[in-house]
Amino acid sequence: MTNYKLCIIPCNGLDKSLGIIARTVALKTIEKEPKIELICPVLLNNGEKKYEEILKSSKIVVVDGCMTGCATKLIEERNLKIFKKVFIPEMSKKFKLKPGKNLILTEEGINLAKTIATELIESLDRSDDEITIEYKEIEDIDYFDITVDKFYFRVPKSGFNFNENDCWIKPEGDLGLIGITDYLQNSASDIMFVELPEIGGKIEQFDDVGSFESVKTVLQLISPVSGEIVSINKLLEKQPELLNQDPYGKGWFAEIKLANFEEDKELLMDCSEYFEYMKNKIMKESEHLKKMKSEKND
Amino acid sequence: MGEGYDADKETFMSVPRKKIPWWPTIDYEKCDFCMECDKFCPHNVYAKTNDDNKKLIVKNPYNCVVFCRVCAKACAPNALKFPDKRKITKLIKKLRSEQKGESQ
Repeated sequence: MTNYKLCIIPCNGLDKSLGIIARTVALKTIEKEPKIELICPVLLNNGEKKYEEILKSSKIVVVDGCMTGCATKLIEERNLKIFKKVFIPEMSKKFKLKPGKNLILTEEGINLAKTIATELIESLDRSDDEITIEYKEIEDIDYFDITVDKFYFRVPKSGFNFNENDCWIKPEGDLGLIGITDYLQNSASDIMFVELPEIGGKIEQFDDVGSFESVKTVLQLISPVSGEIVSINKLLEKQPELLNQDPYGKGWFAEIKLANFEEDKELLMDCSEYFEYMKNKIMKESEHLKKMKSEKND
Repeated sequence: MGEGYDADKETFMSVPRKKIPWWPTIDYEKCDFCMECDKFCPHNVYAKTNDDNKKLIVKNPYNCVVFCRVCAKACAPNALKFPDKRKITKLIKKLRSEQKGESQ
């Protein structure tokens, strides 16, 4: 097993089978690996001191039953980093086992929890290996910028192409980096967790190649191009805030060997086109918010 | 996101949004009405109803962001299906070239 301390916190949502599966995954995990500390989310929420200490000295595994992400929120509001995240609906699809609708788990539901726990322990063993982080040399970027209300948005002046899903490609020869725009990171607010694609994966234009989560929402990176993933920015797993701080630079998501860039480009915008597109979108949203506010005040 | 959205006026890649058939379809055989997708989607694509067989429907299909599939991530019973992305991309290209032809 791993040479560092681990703890596990399930959402334990008792009003949904998904929550009960999450709780069962945590219980099955500590049954197999008693060294992993179990954190009760309810007690943690009550301010249990012992847990706060464990959380600070261990790597944290979070098990969420649904998109509400209660376990994730408990960790994020303490400004702690999530080491590994298990999301039950995703696992249910992966293992083709149904969670069931009832609050008393079916045999299939229990089987799902056991399977997830076994895989979780295996993946924790694997992640014990040193992860190599690839650093990319990022040149200085010149930006167009605009401030609307209290928000500041930037778009590079050249060298990038964009799709209407607010993701970018920065082509360099037959390779290209992809990532999300300032608009997308702003609408997510503080990004806490990133799911990167797998190296070697073949992708088509507009495929979903990764996702990122903030306390507010989950968003996807929709690839502007087709090709093969040749490297990923592992640093984002440790420092997801780079997506907020430097979305066009250190916050790059993945590197792609481009399959058909000339054709893909037909459906992409250049820098100034995207800047106009983004401005329009922001202005529309801002006007709408103002209207809502004034209606509320009337 | 998605605030102030008026599907009649919206375009996606310069094509009127209403010409692009991209939205989720609910498989009622699989859906267990957990409503996770509705809770998650910020664009009001879904709506709850009083019909016991269809407690959830796709009410505003054109509010759905073309190529977005995040709600399907929340769906444990795998009841949400989206159109073939390749076909939609092809259609968008076709509509764009037709529009270009018209404007010349």
